[in-house]
Amino acid sequence: MAKAAPARESGLKRAHFREPRTAYLLLLPQLLILALFFFIPAIRALAQAFLLADPFGARSQFVWFDNFTALLSSPEYQSSIWVTVVFTIAQSAITLFVAVVLAFATDRVVRGRGTYRGILLLPYAIAPVIAGILWAFLFNPAVGPLAHLLHALGIPWDPNRNGDHAMILVIAAASWKHICYDYIFLLAGILAVPQSLIEAAAVDGAGPILRFVRIVIPLLGPTFFFLMVMNFVYGLFDTFAIVDAVTRGGPAGATNILVYKVYQDGFINLDLGSSAAQSVMLMAFALVLTVLQFRYIERSVNYDV
Amino acid sequence: MVERAPTLDFICHAILVLGAALICLPLYFAIVAGSLTIADVQKVPLPWLPGDQYWANLEAAWAKGNFTRLFLNSAIVAVGITVGKVAISILSAFAITYFRFRFRMTAFWLIFTSLMLPVEVRIVPTFEAVSNAALPLQWLIDALDVGAWLSPLTGKRYEIAIEWNMINTYGGLILPLIASATATFLFRQFFLTIPEELCEAARLDGASPLRFLRSIVLPLSVSNIVALSIILFLYGWNQYLWPLLFTTDKDMATVVIGLKHLVPRADMEPAWNIAMNAALLAMLPPVIVVIALQRWFVKGLVDSSK
Amino acid sequence: MTIARRTMMAALAAIGLAAAPSVQAQQRIEIQWWHAMGGVLGERTNEVAQRFNASQTKYTVVAVNKGNYDEVINGVIAAYRAKRQPHLVQIYERGFMTMLLSDAVVPVHQLMADNNYKVDWDDFIKPVAGFYMHKGKLMTMPFNSSTPILWYNKDHFEKAGFGKPASTWQELEKQLYEIKAKGIAECGSALAGDYHWSLIENYSAINDQPYATKSNGFDGLDTELLFNKTTVVPQIARLKKWLDDGVMQMAGQGFSPEQLYTSGKCATFIASTAAHGSVERNAKIAWSATYLPHEQGVTARNSTIGGATVWVMKGHKPEEYAGVAAFMNFLASTDLQVWWHQVTGYVPLTNAAYKAAKSTGYYDKNPTREIAVLQLSRGTPTANSVGFRFGNFTQIMFAQRQEFEAVVAGKKTPQQAMDDAVRRGNEILRQYEKLHAGKY
Repeated sequence: MAKAAPARESGLKRAHFREPRTAYLLLLPQLLILALFFFIPAIRALAQAFLLADPFGARSQFVWFDNFTALLSSPEYQSSIWVTVVFTIAQSAITLFVAVVLAFATDRVVRGRGTYRGILLLPYAIAPVIAGILWAFLFNPAVGPLAHLLHALGIPWDPNRNGDHAMILVIAAASWKHICYDYIFLLAGILAVPQSLIEAAAVDGAGPILRFVRIVIPLLGPTFFFLMVMNFVYGLFDTFAIVDAVTRGGPAGATNILVYKVYQDGFINLDLGSSAAQSVMLMAFALVLTVLQFRYIERSVNYDV
Repeated sequence: MVERAPTLDFICHAILVLGAALICLPLYFAIVAGSLTIADVQKVPLPWLPGDQYWANLEAAWAKGNFTRLFLNSAIVAVGITVGKVAISILSAFAITYFRFRFRMTAFWLIFTSLMLPVEVRIVPTFEAVSNAALPLQWLIDALDVGAWLSPLTGKRYEIAIEWNMINTYGGLILPLIASATATFLFRQFFLTIPEELCEAARLDGASPLRFLRSIVLPLSVSNIVALSIILFLYGWNQYLWPLLFTTDKDMATVVIGLKHLVPRADMEPAWNIAMNAALLAMLPPVIVVIALQRWFVKGLVDSSK
Repeated sequence: MTIARRTMMAALAAIGLAAAPSVQAQQRIEIQWWHAMGGVLGERTNEVAQRFNASQTKYTVVAVNKGNYDEVINGVIAAYRAKRQPHLVQIYERGFMTMLLSDAVVPVHQLMADNNYKVDWDDFIKPVAGFYMHKGKLMTMPFNSSTPILWYNKDHFEKAGFGKPASTWQELEKQLYEIKAKGIAECGSALAGDYHWSLIENYSAINDQPYATKSNGFDGLDTELLFNKTTVVPQIARLKKWLDDGVMQMAGQGFSPEQLYTSGKCATFIASTAAHGSVERNAKIAWSATYLPHEQGVTARNSTIGGATVWVMKGHKPEEYAGVAAFMNFLASTDLQVWWHQVTGYVPLTNAAYKAAKSTGYYDKNPTREIAVLQLSRGTPTANSVGFRFGNFTQIMFAQRQEFEAVVAGKKTPQQAMDDAVRRGNEILRQYEKLHAGKY
């Protein structure tokens, strides 16, 4: 947190050096890696998006916006966007809601607080793909213990055939993995609420839940905003491994989120042009989210100063 | 606590117990499945209590998954990513906060823009970049027609072909992942909080920038570095898409990829007992880190997101 | 600065300023062969290389498993673009067009001619060689070829009083429903993972239904898919009905359909003849196999092959290609083919190998082993049964499978789904045609 002097020349120390050569050298490794693995590939994705190309690289044709128009008019891409929207929103909402409840409860209890927190943080350590594998097993219609429970209850649970079941499973796995993230931030935020405000409200006769809703939640506004953005980033980009482990985008594309489709079209189907066009579209999404994120950073810095 | 509310406290405990149970449920069944024989693991319903095959399955998973080698790979990759990210982020944050030079803001924005390009959206072209990291240099050589310059020297025309293939190398698994806008910002924010007097004093003493970095800035940053390192270690250990694409040699895969190969697919023997056992193995190092270094881990997570 | 040093060294080596290590005369020349065979088949494949290495002293073939078929073709594309391609790579039949028009391969007939091997191409089994010929020449060396057959549980059929599975879909349907109704087996048939190959593609060939125009793509890149206008649609409807009625079971992730059959749960299983190895090992039932069924009133034609071939990649030295040719010659040899056929269940590559196996009485002892060969040569081939030749076939098949899943999920009718599959497939074909116009 930038508690010190507000950045004069936007983030430059008052006492600084004037040895540009050293500065360039210090920046070199970072910029070199960014160039090699971020900027050049991104530019090439942009270029590839306008090409129809053979995967071996022997032939390619410039096709203007064909890849984009084909993409936008394809029902499969539209359905993938829709799937992504449903998935991301459901996952974000569930994650945030559960995290708020757990953070509130953790803040109230005294005994066992450390143990609860320790357990709730565990999924952060677990790779998304492993989280996916665990959930895929639990709900595997043939051998999964929880799938068996559902069958016993008369629910014909089968994520291999039923797209809605598959979607529920992926959302559950993705939320399970991500609740801890929101939880940590909310808990930190709740602890940072000035005790005086809480006490004043208590004196006015507000109960714990009312105080939480009326005082704590509004104060956590920026944190909520930040978490919402981070949940979206997570849902959009970091869930590739979960989908790959649980459903591979199926059945019938029911869980084929955009990131997974890029991979599938590019690496399995070898349709490089379409895959690149999808990458470009995703970059646009990422741009929007980054701008939102930056607004948060800006704001939180301003508040703190 | 402002007042006593026993009912609410009870409900809170109940919620937390339920939450903790929900978190532990998949892990518990992994232990159960990981301790059964292949015949028992296919029984419907699955037994609710662990069997006695845990160690036998562990041995089988370790051997089948080639985990001796893969754990070494994962360790190298995770540590490499951690050290690399911390190092280049500190250097660039230091440059941006402590130096005045012409392209300071350009550099800042270049690093910032990289946030917009998550690995997932540029997998295909990045794959090519990793197949031949020297490609940009090749374009330069072709564009400048270096081969033609050499011909007067030797009387022959040469095609210059350079390549630097990083598929199936530790470099390929580590380098593309060590650029980091967030880590750079974390250090930048922290450096801004370092009192100005320290740098003034160092400059009065005639200390060089690097000396100042080494003897003042780095020692002050230790707690940030440790906290961030934990997050980065988890990040490195749990990588999936990257090693999935950039290793074709089974000996260069990471534990997470090795595990993926053990998970039964449609036409395989349903050895979920081995797969679940391997899943527990693969998550062990990061879980230990999170439990043992919880305080640092939370600090790292909160800091690195600011 | 390792980066600078390594690229510099690479550059120096490339312009010939660094001395190349001299190759010793006695040293064996290494030939890299990437394959996609795992498990028991993988061990057998490695054994092929070992047998070749033991048979001569000049070359060493190094067989490396690079994952499944998709991973291998991706791997070789990446390797080729990075100029690190192996000499040989095993590619599935669906990748034929991708490889053929890639400009990255040496046709096998040309390789053999260049290296003065006289191969009797006419002795290659027609349905196998025909699939991989272009303009009358074999482009790639067939390696593992199979065709789907109908596996069944003898006890189930005898208990129900049928003896064996009927030869038409209509009769078979009645049998399977009865087997389930009588409680003899929990399910009539297990749906194999590669159902698109057995129940749609081979179904079309056997029943003489056009899959696409231009002889299923053999006669031109301007081929258009047609399977939404044939009996494939009622076939999909039939499968959907079976699935809904529990007569057919679909195995989910982590549970193999083959197991549903070998454990005695399902009475039949339509899958590759290459399942022989694992069925023999795992089945606790009285198993047998027969021809795939056909529609009532239709003369059954030959089925088509699936599997993979070994492609020769461009960009290697002549002395290495001499070794590659020697290995290819070894692959086609009768002894090796007989052995390979018997240990794996894949069909033999040449008539000579088939006759050799037959003359030893092998098929009298193992009658199910012959079904594939007989089924492949059943009836007179028509334009609808020579095989399938589409650019980006993997992508087309992927779209078709997705649409089939939509039928199973009850989201689309069979007709809607196949219309969509054809629409998507034709878009893919047009893209391919546009890019490769005039090359085929």
